[in-house]
Amino acid sequence: MVSTQQRDGRTPIAARLLAVNWALIALVVVIASFGVAVLYSVASGSFTPYADKHLLRLLIGVGLILGIAVVPMRFWLGLAYPAYLVALTALVLIPLIGTEALGARRWLRFGEFSLQPSELMKVALVAALARYYQWLPPNRISRPLWVAVPLFAIAVPVVLVLKQPDLGTAVLFASVGLGLMFLAGVNFFYFVGGALAIGGLAPVLWNHLHDYQRRRILTFMDPERDPFGAGYHVLQSKIALGSGGLSGKGYMLGTQGQLNFLPEKQTDFIFTMLGEEWGFVGGVTLIGLYVVLVFMLFGMALFCRSQFARLLCAGSALTIFIYASVNIAMVTGVVPVVGVPLPLVSYGGTAMMTIFAGLGLAMCGYVNRGTQIRRETLGAVGS
Amino acid sequence: MFGRDSDDNAQRLRFTRRTLLIGAAQAGVFGLVGSRLFRLQVVEGGRYVPLAEENRLNVQIVAPMRGRILDRFGELLATNREGYRVVLVPSLAGNVKEVLALFARLVPMTEEDQERFVQRAWRQPPNVPMVLAGDLTFEQIAEVNLFAPQLPGVRTEIDSRRQYFHGRTVGHVVGYVGVVSRLALDDDPVLRLPGMRTGKSGVELGMENILRGAGGQIKHEVDSRGRIVRDIEQREPVRGSDIVLTIDTKMQARTLARLSREKSAAAVAMDVTTGEVVVMASVPQFDTSEFADPTAGRALRRMQTAQLNPMVNRAIRGAYPPGSTFKMVVALAALEAGVVKPKERIACEGKFELANQVFRCWKRGGHDSSDLHKALRESCDVYFYELARRCGIDAIARMARRLGLGQTFDCGIALQKSGVIPDAEWKQRRFGKGWLGGETILAGIGQGFVLTTPLQLAVMMARLATGNAVTPTLVRPAPGEQFPVPPALGIRPEGLDAIRRGLFAVVNEEGGTGHAARLNEGTARLAGKTGTSQVSRASSERANSDLRWEERDHALFVAYAPSALPRYAVAVVVEHAGSGGAAAGPVVKELMADLLAQDPTARPAYSGVPGDSTIRADGDRG
Repeated sequence: MVSTQQRDGRTPIAARLLAVNWALIALVVVIASFGVAVLYSVASGSFTPYADKHLLRLLIGVGLILGIAVVPMRFWLGLAYPAYLVALTALVLIPLIGTEALGARRWLRFGEFSLQPSELMKVALVAALARYYQWLPPNRISRPLWVAVPLFAIAVPVVLVLKQPDLGTAVLFASVGLGLMFLAGVNFFYFVGGALAIGGLAPVLWNHLHDYQRRRILTFMDPERDPFGAGYHVLQSKIALGSGGLSGKGYMLGTQGQLNFLPEKQTDFIFTMLGEEWGFVGGVTLIGLYVVLVFMLFGMALFCRSQFARLLCAGSALTIFIYASVNIAMVTGVVPVVGVPLPLVSYGGTAMMTIFAGLGLAMCGYVNRGTQIRRETLGAVGS
Repeated sequence: MFGRDSDDNAQRLRFTRRTLLIGAAQAGVFGLVGSRLFRLQVVEGGRYVPLAEENRLNVQIVAPMRGRILDRFGELLATNREGYRVVLVPSLAGNVKEVLALFARLVPMTEEDQERFVQRAWRQPPNVPMVLAGDLTFEQIAEVNLFAPQLPGVRTEIDSRRQYFHGRTVGHVVGYVGVVSRLALDDDPVLRLPGMRTGKSGVELGMENILRGAGGQIKHEVDSRGRIVRDIEQREPVRGSDIVLTIDTKMQARTLARLSREKSAAAVAMDVTTGEVVVMASVPQFDTSEFADPTAGRALRRMQTAQLNPMVNRAIRGAYPPGSTFKMVVALAALEAGVVKPKERIACEGKFELANQVFRCWKRGGHDSSDLHKALRESCDVYFYELARRCGIDAIARMARRLGLGQTFDCGIALQKSGVIPDAEWKQRRFGKGWLGGETILAGIGQGFVLTTPLQLAVMMARLATGNAVTPTLVRPAPGEQFPVPPALGIRPEGLDAIRRGLFAVVNEEGGTGHAARLNEGTARLAGKTGTSQVSRASSERANSDLRWEERDHALFVAYAPSALPRYAVAVVVEHAGSGGAAAGPVVKELMADLLAQDPTARPAYSGVPGDSTIRADGDRG
């Protein structure tokens, strides 16, 4: 208690490390280890090319969590808005100077170095919203103007990633952003009204979807309709999961995965790979671990005294929840294939680092759970 | 300060409440996802297992070697010639066009052919191999194999082609194989293999199930691109069984040489006790040795459109009015019905009248009066008109069928015609009209609706000669097995004896119509019956020599010998040759003399053991 009650920025690093939630770190390592094991099987029993890099990223990621956690929370508080603005600028620049790959324009390339602004935005949006509600006095939270501002801050990146087009990320921005607004205390009726409005606007939105997005939604309704076209992925995924049964076909013995009938099995469809080889038992175990992880993050939020720290924890929890549930729903054929990875398990450095960064911020908030931040220090609110 | 704290506490409380709400919602979502997973994997899981297996396994069928066909003395008539061929599996080829272009540099192939294969690769199922080239030399195959890495989807195979020997002699009997027709695609997956051939006619078709054998199977595990990952299971094909025919190729050749003096004719000779068909000849001939690929299609079409239809095996597919050879049936029917006694004499004044219709005897002046013996010997039509009138068409039809007419036989050869043995019910079914009395009279001399094949006539003679229900066969029994013993016909022996004496008289007594078939003095005696069957009405008004060939009468002669203890039955039909005795008699005589001299069914037949290394070597016969 003593250490956390000391003034911000003065606590020794060792003391902050002690305040870290090591159980959460352990849980993250366990979940990511599922990824290492499945990726080893994806490569037919080889650490290259996936499992070894995934393991390395896990180690770097744990370092990243701890690294972000021991930095004084004020630093991140100060960085929240600039980071959001940088990410937003980059997103705006993408249509102008972005690099196209796989039919989508998502990357900014600076010589050898390439940046995916939408990944930066995933962290920056959470931080910026947390910063905003840290600053906003509670009595103004539900005033229309002060609701419109964060709504706009969410809507702009959503529209920008939809243009890329990246439906998965847009869904993530929208749900995490709105989730944070809800947790911050925005009046209930805004959400009810918003839901009704979206219901009315759905047909308009449909007209603005890309053909491939519409096709995905249509084939999702009936994947068998087009078994070699757009429905192929989902159909093969269902065959893999279904034939895996209760206890699975055995590690490295999944025929659908090993014989390449399963698409994207190291990234978006890695849960299918796991479900085929380890069965329902394996799949439900992983789901259980995600439940524990998400609830642990919410639990951490409840311990925090500052709104900023609370929302950082909740933002990370929401991100992981959205990713995990959408991904699993996607591979089991409940929602259309929108290209969302399974957090900590899917192969892919950028997405994994984004998750670790989010967890790092949540951990930073938790380390500083006893700290209160005076609203005045963040600049006056116009009266 | 206090206000700030209370503010913060209120905010914290609200956050906690809302966290619980969101947490509950999330638990619900995870629960839904989990239950979905449970339904997919545990409840419905079984539904997906076969789908995964279907993905995983590629089953390749291996064609069995077709059984050979040999004659009764082991002369090879049909066998398989092994050759090399190259196939292309489109799904493994990637760019079919490029692969074909490179392949064409190794094995010449025109641009049009390449384009044809590219088109075909688009249309057909991608996993079914296409035969690019057959009949390649070993050098060409070696070269293709050398370039295998640059030729994805291309592989070399050994294929076997049917090869026929004595094709001109036994072509009608052995038949030939051809591309599997769409209609014939039954459950046997072997039939879907490229280059697979099935019997199209003759024994090749009749014994298809025995000759074909059973396909082998190679099960591979394949990846999503169809590449073979490993072998799962391998089952060797079971070679088709060899068929040993009852035909004596040498005698068949001699018979054909004799028949070839005619434009079109057919002859059948069979053992009267076992039913073994020793000779089954049909003229004009065609040569199955010409049916070797790749000109098979052309040769086949040429044959099919040739004059007189050489493809038709007249011995089983030629349905002729039996004419006077049908008189034994009528006589026996009347004797069995008790409406006539052998000694009863019936007057003939050259014509027979029934309800204002006049039926003429072939002898304009008449035969005075005849008993059965004389009526058969001199083939008096009026006598048999009267018998037919007395016993009626149904009794005649029943006797005809008992003697083997109007039916096909399960004797190993396909596409037999059953001919027509008419009765009242048949006419009602066929024409929707009632039977007329005059039609019975015509049937009495084997005209009108009655149609028979040479094989049926030979069977009739064998049955008359033995009194047993002999059934013909073209296939020797498997080693260790015997021909089934035919049951007795159950016809009274007195009647049969009367008929046999009459048949003896036809050939050997003064006044008989079949002297042309009489065997040389000092040898066995032959018993038989002539037949001259009218094809068109014109022949009753004018002499045959004045008629166009197609309008002239058919000449028939049926016989068995030796008359004392019959061994062989023979039936010969010469189309449009006029009088049966004159045109068909000499053929019967020579054929029967040959049969009795060589006695093929008394000599040991080929039993499949000596010199039959190919069958024994792979030991699939147990």
